Amino acid sequence: MQALSGVQLSAHAGGAELRATDMEIGLRVPLEAEVDREGTVVLPARLLLDVARSLPGAQATFELRPAEQDVEVVSGSATFHIRTLRSEDFPPLPEPGGENVVEVPATAFVETINRVARSASRDETRPILTGILVSASGDELRMVATDSYRLSVKETRLEAPLEGGFEANVPARALQELARISQAAEADTLTVSVRSNQIVFEVGGDVLSSRLIEGQFPNYRQLLPDAFEHELTLTSGELTEVVRRMSLMAQKNAPLRLHFAEGELTVSAQTPDVGEARETMPLAFSGESFEIGFNPEFLRDGLESGDGGDLVLKLISPLRPGLIESADGSGFLYLIMPIRLNV
Amino acid sequence: MAAIAHLDVDAFYASVELQRRPQLRGLPVIVSGSGPRAVVTTASYEARRFGIGSAMPTARARRLCPEAVLVAPDFAAYREASQAVMALVRRAVQRVEVVGLDEAYLDLEGLVAPRAAMRRLVGDVRAATGLDCSIGIGPNRLVAKVASDAEKPRGFVVLTREQACARFAEHAPGLVPGIGPKTVARLQRLGITTLRALAATPVDTLVAAFGARHGPELQRRASFRGSAELTLVRTAVSESRETTFDADIADAARLEAILSDLAGQLCERLARQDRRGRNVAIKVRLDDFTTVTRARTIAAATNDPAVVGEVALGLLREYAPARPVRLLGVRVAAFEAGAAQPDDDQLALPL
Repeated sequence: MQALSGVQLSAHAGGAELRATDMEIGLRVPLEAEVDREGTVVLPARLLLDVARSLPGAQATFELRPAEQDVEVVSGSATFHIRTLRSEDFPPLPEPGGENVVEVPATAFVETINRVARSASRDETRPILTGILVSASGDELRMVATDSYRLSVKETRLEAPLEGGFEANVPARALQELARISQAAEADTLTVSVRSNQIVFEVGGDVLSSRLIEGQFPNYRQLLPDAFEHELTLTSGELTEVVRRMSLMAQKNAPLRLHFAEGELTVSAQTPDVGEARETMPLAFSGESFEIGFNPEFLRDGLESGDGGDLVLKLISPLRPGLIESADGSGFLYLIMPIRLNV
Repeated sequence: MAAIAHLDVDAFYASVELQRRPQLRGLPVIVSGSGPRAVVTTASYEARRFGIGSAMPTARARRLCPEAVLVAPDFAAYREASQAVMALVRRAVQRVEVVGLDEAYLDLEGLVAPRAAMRRLVGDVRAATGLDCSIGIGPNRLVAKVASDAEKPRGFVVLTREQACARFAEHAPGLVPGIGPKTVARLQRLGITTLRALAATPVDTLVAAFGARHGPELQRRASFRGSAELTLVRTAVSESRETTFDADIADAARLEAILSDLAGQLCERLARQDRRGRNVAIKVRLDDFTTVTRARTIAAATNDPAVVGEVALGLLREYAPARPVRLLGVRVAAFEAGAAQPDDDQLALPL
């Protein structure tokens, strides 16, 4: 499938379009162009990118030379001839539209993605967990992601109710790509077309399509404990800073240790042959002291996804899940599983 | 004089299963996955009487002994049992090299009564876990290892180097760790079929046949000369299995079957060593000797044959060899560090 390492350049009456796909995600980006002759060609993506970046002029002309099977690129005083790839192998990319089309505010959508995406699994052997479960209906947008070690939920209240709605398990990779495109496009609205096994986003003229992940996404509600022993309010960023510092000494998968005692929390980390660190901060903890271990990266992700506001940390015991919540009730939940500590 | 003990738990996986299901005692028990290409992980001693052994295809084992009870492996239980055994080992001696879930070398230096200490350890392991183990004691690792294997199960064999040479003189060279089947076959072609003969072969002959490094090493091993050093921290960075075919193979389905097998063998070894890696790679050599490797890193370290096999097959399908293949291999790297396996200790949501 050589064509997949290529980018398709299509010239038609209205302008030009670049298309690329890896068979899971497809992207179409319109270009402003003056078209003399319509046509479609596939060029090696990496090379085209390097060439385009290096072009001396502000504009370039592309001309397909069928006899030579190449494309002539002229910009300023530079001329390139780039051999084309087989166009027939390039799959057609989905068009937006269809029966279920929903318009969502772009900023809210992207912010919600960014709050949960880090929890999505990268383990391709469990495909369901590599997606983000996106639910949109009424004035609520909700995204859930988990890699089984932590679980993020963000519920975003929309300013105006949506017309229509959908629920889909979208590859996290596609949504992260969408977040990048969307931030660059600076568009207000995102159009989402949902089909049985496909989702197509349109933002500022760019079209990103992705296959959907089949299968039942875990029911996250039943994973959330009904009650917690301890509920601790953390002032914005306070614990995050301590955790970042202490994490420096938690290398090679060493856990971060959180020791709670009357009125204080001590965070420590130790890596054999590297060193150790310890820091104590005041905290309104009362009750029998205990120690719980977390993967430093997972804990940091949870604290940072809190987005700077005050957080509530809820714990039960050293081997039960912990929960990080935004204190202002803004609908962010981060469930994190501890690491068993060998005292 | 240095003294090393080698402790080996008898029929480890099968014995752990028998502890959990006493009703299976006395029956031939095979611990194995159930797929069409599963291999035997361990067989109880009852099953071994039917000629069943580790790494044998399960289908064949079932033909040899249709009444055998098949038990699916439960590595979490084996790890737990292993930790219990190794904790006792560490209480008995200070310097330990754990080489697998069921195997460790112990440095006996400094013990006032090393044999008594080892007998007490065997008793403690039995009392605490119900598992039997065999002990071999010798001046170096090689003697200790071969001695622990000599009278399994419940063996307790103490040998000097000279005694080991005498006792195993007529055994095939393959008895000694580090002399593999290919070397054994080549030795046989040279007319060398016993350890005695190998030990007596002039070094020059061995150097000519096996090279300047391997030749003398073979003779050292045949004479049970070896290191008494324990490696307290293991540092192997990757583990692999590969095979060169007798005839080049172009059929994708056959290549996939072979790759699955290799992944299974590799994972069995990793599981025995209690190691898990995050990086899975394949190696493919084509008939024109083009050699490529393709690797993928996954989120969580694993030694699960299903996971490693699936990633390896994915890599093979993506590469889609354009010519017949002469060598195929699979490798797992990026192991989790240290004994505190985060995979064991990192708790997961019940998804």
